[in-house]
Amino acid sequence: MTIADGLKAAALLFVAAIVQVSIFTQVDIFGGVPQLVLVTLVGVALLRGAVAAATAGFFAGLVVDTATLGTMGLTSLVLTVSGYCIGRYGETTGRDRAHAPYLSVAVVTVLYSFGVLIVHFMLGERAPAGAVARGVLPTIVLNLILTGPVYALVRRLLRPRERGDFATEVQLLG
Amino acid sequence: MVRRAVLAVLVILALALLTISFRSPTAGVLHDAQGYGASALRPFQVAATRVARPFRDAYNYVSSLSTAKSENKKLRKMVEDYRSQLLLNAAAVQQNKDLQALLNYESGPRYPQDYRAVNAAVVSFPSGPFAQQLVIDAGTNQGIHVNTPVVSADGLVGKVTNAGRATSVVTLLTDPDSAVPARDLKTHVSGLIRHGQGGTLILDRVPKNQVVTKGDWIVTRGTVERQYPDEYPYGIPIGRVISVGTSDIASFLTVQVQPLAQLDSLDSVAALIPTKRARSHP
Repeated sequence: MTIADGLKAAALLFVAAIVQVSIFTQVDIFGGVPQLVLVTLVGVALLRGAVAAATAGFFAGLVVDTATLGTMGLTSLVLTVSGYCIGRYGETTGRDRAHAPYLSVAVVTVLYSFGVLIVHFMLGERAPAGAVARGVLPTIVLNLILTGPVYALVRRLLRPRERGDFATEVQLLG
Repeated sequence: MVRRAVLAVLVILALALLTISFRSPTAGVLHDAQGYGASALRPFQVAATRVARPFRDAYNYVSSLSTAKSENKKLRKMVEDYRSQLLLNAAAVQQNKDLQALLNYESGPRYPQDYRAVNAAVVSFPSGPFAQQLVIDAGTNQGIHVNTPVVSADGLVGKVTNAGRATSVVTLLTDPDSAVPARDLKTHVSGLIRHGQGGTLILDRVPKNQVVTKGDWIVTRGTVERQYPDEYPYGIPIGRVISVGTSDIASFLTVQVQPLAQLDSLDSVAALIPTKRARSHP
């Protein structure tokens, strides 16, 4: 990942985090809240790999936690792990697949929702599993709606890498 | 190998931040740094909120059109009721003042005269299943501190639970951890306002032998014992009773209260800072 790419990804995620905490958290449809940061992070992860995504997730989480005066590190922790997982998927089997962004967003939404729930539970805070479970499906739908335009924007800013840049541990046959 | 090392470092860093922040959520070096960071992010949040406001207003306008006619009729009826009530209340207030002067009556800080309002815009809405909170555009620089009561033009909103230099977190009445000592303005029955179903509140801990009726106004109870000063002054409007129920096995009444403040669509709020006179009366 070049410095220019890093700056572009940082700017994208910064804007996504600000829009998330200032606007999107008010949008509550059937218990679901669109997660722009997560969708943007998926774009970065698929296009730039696990290391870039984990780092981007960490700093995006810091911006969210700072802006909301929340528990520092909580969002960073979950976004770091989520970004890394999707990044690995992008580096291996997910590359060149048209459905990869949508599949990744759906999976990472579930991971993120329950990841945050687990961290809250482990901290001894209120962890309303029922409310989270009820909100997961609407959140997936809202995130999938965002995926098309957000991924197109991320792809436009972060040009897809050449095939040789990807990890070579897993090779697709055929 | 490098990938896993980077992940491990980031996870350890996040866990370290989490531990420090969790152990000391409202004070300490990390909290101060977070406060500075929040101050730096505030202009961006305000800008984003301003960009979104016309769209939100347009949505609210369109959605309110469908109920405007019936609501108008209801509001006209309410205005008539309130007008007659106002005259009675004005006479009672004057009589109350005269009697207090006659008795040299000592009281705790009074709302609103013993408080000054710090008006602040709402810049973030980190609500959701975990907490019902919002972030406002004012902090310790404006005199706000943890437990400062926050109101809107309609009534009580909640209290400050985390204060940075230029921003603060307000925990709403609808948060599951919120509990506000309150009383029925008409029958003087006391209870605890807690969160209820579907954005409503519950006046909890009201014994079955007490009387609460539909339509009663609920206000903050204020300090009843000098030794244990309450965070909320007496008389801040909270809501109106919409239903009262009971069952044979329950020890308490089930009193459902509709909050006066529109907690899900707040643009600005006022934090109540006690004046010097209020501080001299705990």
